[in-house]
Amino acid sequence: MKGKVVVVPCSGIGKTFGTVSREAAYTVAEELRPDATELAALSLLVLGDEETRAFVAGHPTITIDGCRLACATKMVQESGLPVARSFTVLDAFRKHRDLKPEGISSLNPEGQRLARVLAEEVAEAVDDLQEKT
Amino acid sequence: MPLLPKKKVGIVACSGEEMPEGAVSRVAALQVLERLRPNDTVTICLPLFLAGGEGDRAFARFYPTVAIDGCEKRCAARATEMYSGKPAASIVVTDVVAGNGLGPIRGSRQLNEAGIQAADLVAQEVARLVDGLLGRTGREVAEVAVAEPEAGPEVPEDEEAAISLCSCGSGIPVQKVAVNGRVVTLIALPAIFEQFYQTGKRPGDGTTRELLEMTRIYNPIPSEEEAAYAEALAREYEKFCQKQEAG
Repeated sequence: MKGKVVVVPCSGIGKTFGTVSREAAYTVAEELRPDATELAALSLLVLGDEETRAFVAGHPTITIDGCRLACATKMVQESGLPVARSFTVLDAFRKHRDLKPEGISSLNPEGQRLARVLAEEVAEAVDDLQEKT
Repeated sequence: MPLLPKKKVGIVACSGEEMPEGAVSRVAALQVLERLRPNDTVTICLPLFLAGGEGDRAFARFYPTVAIDGCEKRCAARATEMYSGKPAASIVVTDVVAGNGLGPIRGSRQLNEAGIQAADLVAQEVARLVDGLLGRTGREVAEVAVAEPEAGPEVPEDEEAAISLCSCGSGIPVQKVAVNGRVVTLIALPAIFEQFYQTGKRPGDGTTRELLEMTRIYNPIPSEEEAAYAEALAREYEKFCQKQEAG
């Protein structure tokens, strides 16, 4: 059995791009690659939760950031752990300008499609990483 | 003291994606922010806060915060205390669930009925805490209209630039200043400059000393770097005054 891949989304709750990143992470973990991925919470990792840290350390990690501040990627790295692949909603939006996300509690249809497109990219990366492990 | 923005309460939610209670914390926070107390609360972005976002940390230094945590690990409360100050109030979803005899919560992405009930209860409790912190006890917990936003800085049309503003929107002004060859972010500096200018203080040694003391109230200034900070403040205040006078 292939090893799991950890997905760490941005976790921000106040901005649309954070919502897209979380939605993409859920789409990967619950729909596209439910058996191959696990979500990890940034706050647990940064605050030194041993169980979370050990889990992330033992598996390839993909981060999904909302914006160019890249909090998820930075914090995984600052926790001393490698990031195998990183994605940002902003990059996905640059490639799909017609999918302008709006809404925080609930995304507009374009935002949901953007999350799906991003999730599909992440799922491909999950497959690649699993091939290598 | 410089005039800082209207007092609001910061809401810090754990938002843990890997557990349903994290989703409850997020949904409850958004209910308070968007519907129950939109004019009295701002969100503090936990990832940015953890990653060193000065705007969010500054807010939590100046204003009361309510931490909403999914579980007993209390990441939101601990992070707030670690990086800014102890939250004025704290609420844990699992306590609310147990205290109200709610059934098991399921569904991180789409909460089940128990999860929705828990989010409603947590949101109502947070609204009460907000009212208490703002001295408005006895207020009914109900949805309120969103006030028209005050004129604020224009958001750049370029989405990258706009997103770089992704802090809490606390309204605490910060300014980046070069000190000893590195860039530091000084909290409240624009408001301090504005106040000094409005009270007729113009660049000079005496003003620089006063600026240093006022800036120190809001920002740590290492004693060995006082001279460098004073030089930077004098330079920036000179620029500020020139800009004001140029209209």
